[in-house]
Amino acid sequence: MLGGQSATRGGAIFASLIAASALYATLPAKAADQPIVIGASISQTGPLAVDASYHLKGIQLAVADANAHGGWLGRKLELKVYDDQSNPGTGVRLYTRLITQDKVDLVIGPYSSGISQAVAPLTNKYERVMLMPGASLPAIFAPGNKWNFQSIAPATGYAEGLLPLAKANGAKKVAILQLQLAFTLACGQARLEQAKQLGMNVVYTTTYALPQPDFSSMALAIKNANPDAVLLCSYYPDAVGIAQALHRIGYTPQYLAETIGPAEAEFDKALGPIANGIISNTSWWPSLKTPDNGGFVSRYKAMFHEDPDYHVAATYSAMQVLGAAVAATKSLDQEKLRDWIASNEVQTVQGTFKSGPNGLATKFGQYLFQIQNGKRVLIWPLDLAEAKAEVPYAGH
Amino acid sequence: MILLQLVVNGVLLGGTYILLAQGLNLVFGVMGIVNLAHGAIITLAGLFTYWFVTETHLSPLLLLPPVFIVMLAAGGLLQRFLLEPLASLGRKGELLNLMVTFGLSYVLIETGLNAFGSQYVSLPNLQTTWEVGGLAINEALVAAGVLGALISGGLHLWLNYSDSGRSLLATSQNPTGAVTCGIDVRRVRGIAFAIGAALASAAGVLLILVIPLSAPTADTLTILSFVIVALGGLGDYRGAVMAALILGLVQSAVGYYLGGDAEVVVPYLLLITFMVVRPQGLGRAVR
Amino acid sequence: MTFEVGRTVAQRPGKASTVVAFHRNPVAMTAVAVLIGCAGVVPVLLSGYMLQLATDVLMFAALAYSWNIISGCTGYLSFGQVSFFGIGAYATSVLVIRAGIPWYAAAPIASALAGMIAALLGTVMLRLRGIMFALGMLGLSRILMVLSANWNFIGAAAGLTLPAELTPVAVYIAMWVVVVAAFGLNAFVLNSGWGLSVIGVRDDEVAAAAVGVPTARIKVMAFVMSALAPAAVGGLVAWNRSFIDPSSAFDPTLDLQVIVFALFGGIGTVWGPALGTVFLMLVGEQFWAYLPDLQLALYGGLVIAVVLAFPGGIVGLANRVGWLRRSPVLAPDKFPAVPSMPHSPPAVDETIIDVRELTVRFGGLVALDGITLSVRRGEMVSIIGANGAGKTTLFNAITGFVKPSEGGVFYLGKPVADIPSFERARQGIARTFQIPRLMETLTVWENTLLAARHSKRADNAVVQAAWALHVVKMDELWLEPTTKLSPGQQRRLEMARALALNPTIILLDEVMAGMTRDEQDEIRAVLRQFREYGVAAAAGVEHVISAIADISDRMIVLDHGRKIAEGSPETVLRDPLVIESYLGKVS
Repeated sequence: MLGGQSATRGGAIFASLIAASALYATLPAKAADQPIVIGASISQTGPLAVDASYHLKGIQLAVADANAHGGWLGRKLELKVYDDQSNPGTGVRLYTRLITQDKVDLVIGPYSSGISQAVAPLTNKYERVMLMPGASLPAIFAPGNKWNFQSIAPATGYAEGLLPLAKANGAKKVAILQLQLAFTLACGQARLEQAKQLGMNVVYTTTYALPQPDFSSMALAIKNANPDAVLLCSYYPDAVGIAQALHRIGYTPQYLAETIGPAEAEFDKALGPIANGIISNTSWWPSLKTPDNGGFVSRYKAMFHEDPDYHVAATYSAMQVLGAAVAATKSLDQEKLRDWIASNEVQTVQGTFKSGPNGLATKFGQYLFQIQNGKRVLIWPLDLAEAKAEVPYAGH
Repeated sequence: MILLQLVVNGVLLGGTYILLAQGLNLVFGVMGIVNLAHGAIITLAGLFTYWFVTETHLSPLLLLPPVFIVMLAAGGLLQRFLLEPLASLGRKGELLNLMVTFGLSYVLIETGLNAFGSQYVSLPNLQTTWEVGGLAINEALVAAGVLGALISGGLHLWLNYSDSGRSLLATSQNPTGAVTCGIDVRRVRGIAFAIGAALASAAGVLLILVIPLSAPTADTLTILSFVIVALGGLGDYRGAVMAALILGLVQSAVGYYLGGDAEVVVPYLLLITFMVVRPQGLGRAVR
Repeated sequence: MTFEVGRTVAQRPGKASTVVAFHRNPVAMTAVAVLIGCAGVVPVLLSGYMLQLATDVLMFAALAYSWNIISGCTGYLSFGQVSFFGIGAYATSVLVIRAGIPWYAAAPIASALAGMIAALLGTVMLRLRGIMFALGMLGLSRILMVLSANWNFIGAAAGLTLPAELTPVAVYIAMWVVVVAAFGLNAFVLNSGWGLSVIGVRDDEVAAAAVGVPTARIKVMAFVMSALAPAAVGGLVAWNRSFIDPSSAFDPTLDLQVIVFALFGGIGTVWGPALGTVFLMLVGEQFWAYLPDLQLALYGGLVIAVVLAFPGGIVGLANRVGWLRRSPVLAPDKFPAVPSMPHSPPAVDETIIDVRELTVRFGGLVALDGITLSVRRGEMVSIIGANGAGKTTLFNAITGFVKPSEGGVFYLGKPVADIPSFERARQGIARTFQIPRLMETLTVWENTLLAARHSKRADNAVVQAAWALHVVKMDELWLEPTTKLSPGQQRRLEMARALALNPTIILLDEVMAGMTRDEQDEIRAVLRQFREYGVAAAAGVEHVISAIADISDRMIVLDHGRKIAEGSPETVLRDPLVIESYLGKVS
């Protein structure tokens, strides 16, 4: 044995090996091996949680699909999701965290127009591209907005098929009621305009606010005005409440249409047989002939063991747009992505994505479905309809 | 005919309000506590009823007796552990009691959220609408009103003609005097709160047939109940009946002639008007 | 309200005082100033997310302090302070958008507007009992939410969008300024002489009025103070988010959180709201990630736990080990030397109190029936009678706590009918209560000082208060909390309070009741010399006749609301009608 000298040399070699591996470990891994992190704040608790869960699942499916094909730019996708507890203020704080502290590569928008509206100025401030599949409210996409893109059909288009459909069948008088929420008012305004253009007679209109415990007076007023078609720009509890109130006053119009509410699963359970014949709006349907829609539906079913709804389609298509932009620009550079998204069309499961002035979505379709015998069927546009509309509204 | 239907609607709405509010009145009358968890109890009972009916497809009315009894026991326990410790403070403890029930309401709301989710739910039972002489009268609304009337009538009989009820009245008027008469005021307080909570839960079972309920909006019911109780005179159950009917009629008329958004502010405007003009409410009870 | 608000520093006689009043301790003040300064500067160095969190902490602290003023210090629990938050948010936004006013001017204007609205609202709502006020405020926030959703001028349900001009750092600093102001208001209420009136209102509104506190006005002022910071904060938050709409402006969960923070930290204290907010928000940030489904339940449970187990919050717990104790207001380091204060009898008319044909009815019950009597300068009048004779009602009518149904009361020749009780107290009618009504969270000193501050010697209130305590021989007990006093000492404190008011006449309601012989003698000694204390006349309602017979100049006997005898004590006590009213007829 060589003793001291070799021990020292051995120790030196050993130490340098340690140092070298430590140094190697601290070297940034090659960019290609690191995942692309997509950040979002989604309501997982609080009043919005139920609907927001679909919003989240759409993103999760998109991430899984992308990763099954090697990810984007050869890198896997990773999701970083926080819970904003259905609170806009918390959403703002969490997106700030995602952008400034976690430094995620990309962000995707939250659930609901309310939280989207709170978060929108943030992305404009930090110059981050954000697709917003939860923002149906057109007002969010106002002059000054440069970085947010609406990726769901705007509220102004809700139920735009109802009045033409009713008119084609001889309806002349219409009643339009609006809930005092930003996006239902936007819908209501648009429908009132439409009625005027179509030359239909608006025999009764009112706005109302939640929480409203009693709809009997409005139902009586509707009965008194005797319209052919009744359209509610509603949310959920009022959609239930007004349908109940119309029944209790013993009045059935030819057409009864309500936005948003009838899409919920609990709607039928709340109303029982009087739900039959109610018409409602949606921005997506499983039978649509959009690219890979059938595949999307079956993959979702396989992953989550339930049927997807329009929320899922909205977020999935937003991810499709984002993916297309990344692939086309071959980068994660926010400006390049922004410019590309602003000027290109993308075919998604929700239809054609095309961004208009200030980020508004201009080409997504609007559809009508009706509850018939406890099942929901597409009834408009007529060329895509699965069944004819059942008229008059049965109410039993 | 429209006018008559408006009146019918108003009376039926008033019946629903009576159902909502009487439980709150009893608790306040005896204990000086405004139970801020009132709306949460109603909502929890309603959500439970929804779950029960959708699972078993039995009639919700079957739930009335068991829910009432369970809530009697639960209410007694809650009072014993959360409110009785403050009872010795008497009048000064009023605000502390308010705080405790405030905290309790959030615990109950969270329980409802976790057990039943955050969505609005309603039930389609008792949906028949009868045509009586050109007027439309709905079964569920009538049932709610009938239950409200039964409760009010039952309260009247019990408070005035039974020993336990009279002990309650005595305690509410003068706790010290009641003690010297040999009344176990601790038990009386427990009974009052238990019955108030049980009445609230009974209300919830029927209310789920009348309006959509949800855990996050439970406190709206508390506020509405409080408005009725305050309008009628805190603790005065006859005043509450008057107030409920008046509120129902006024809302019905306002909703028809002035539209939906005017209707929703009626309870609050009435409350503020009364606070300014006649804070003791419509009834005659003085506390 | 009986939240355990802040134990006070008590000094033991003989022991060197080791605790100096906080705000006179230069070391402590410097430490606090440095702390506040750091809070302002350091977070500016933080990154986006932490800065946002710090800003939120400041926001809640400002709201908690403001809630503390009306609910903790004044005793009127408010469940709707978010109303002012929303008013401020909307007012600021409208001023900026429609009037082009820069944000740093718009927020203070919005604050002032909220204050004015609070003044109007308060005048109406603070007349009501605590419960009605609490629930009225709850309803108010709902009404405002519905009204704002309908008002197109402020954007109705769609809300208003503001141009994003503020940097996060600017928002933070502005928020910090607001918190410091809110803290300052809070400290002012709890440490100043004016603030004593607020606390007096909280502890016992009736007694406060009896020592001259203008209770209605004080309540409204406290309410206005509690509206200023939330409005400013609302404006800043609207700016920070560049957006405001009815549901975010009047969000009820804000109220819940603020209440929990303030309660947990210690309601009605100087440091409680800050401690509670910082602790719970920082803990909350970590916690909610693990227990997201329990947040509301935990907040609710915390409220219950605090109320039932430790109503004083963190500060209350700290008090038990001697920390963060409240120092008595305006208390010098040791009991002031009392100069021989000349208190000469005031130059007043012959007749001090004149009661003419006074009738008081409560529903069907006639408590007083056409009573006519007077109290003249220099005399001590005793009013006796069997229970239910109407004696206390008589005093209540004179002092303004009961309205006459017929007839009138005249003080120094002028009718008092339209003069509220607190004003009568200020003008020189002092009284004690049958059951002593003392401010329980204040020390002996502060109870007396409160009265002295509303006397004609208010400029010299400290000396006046010391003098009054000296007269009743309570110098040594001056820093004791009133809850530690024996019944006799409580009575003497009531008398000191009455004397501190520098009154023209003192009305004593059964001041001898429940006193030991020695205690009675002490009170009699004070009463004998009342003329030397600058008091022109005294009247006492009494049952313990032996204790007052020899010091009274005149005696009046009431029976079932009527006067049945009047004259010197010897004459009256032998009057057969008087004996009959007490003992019944001997058949």
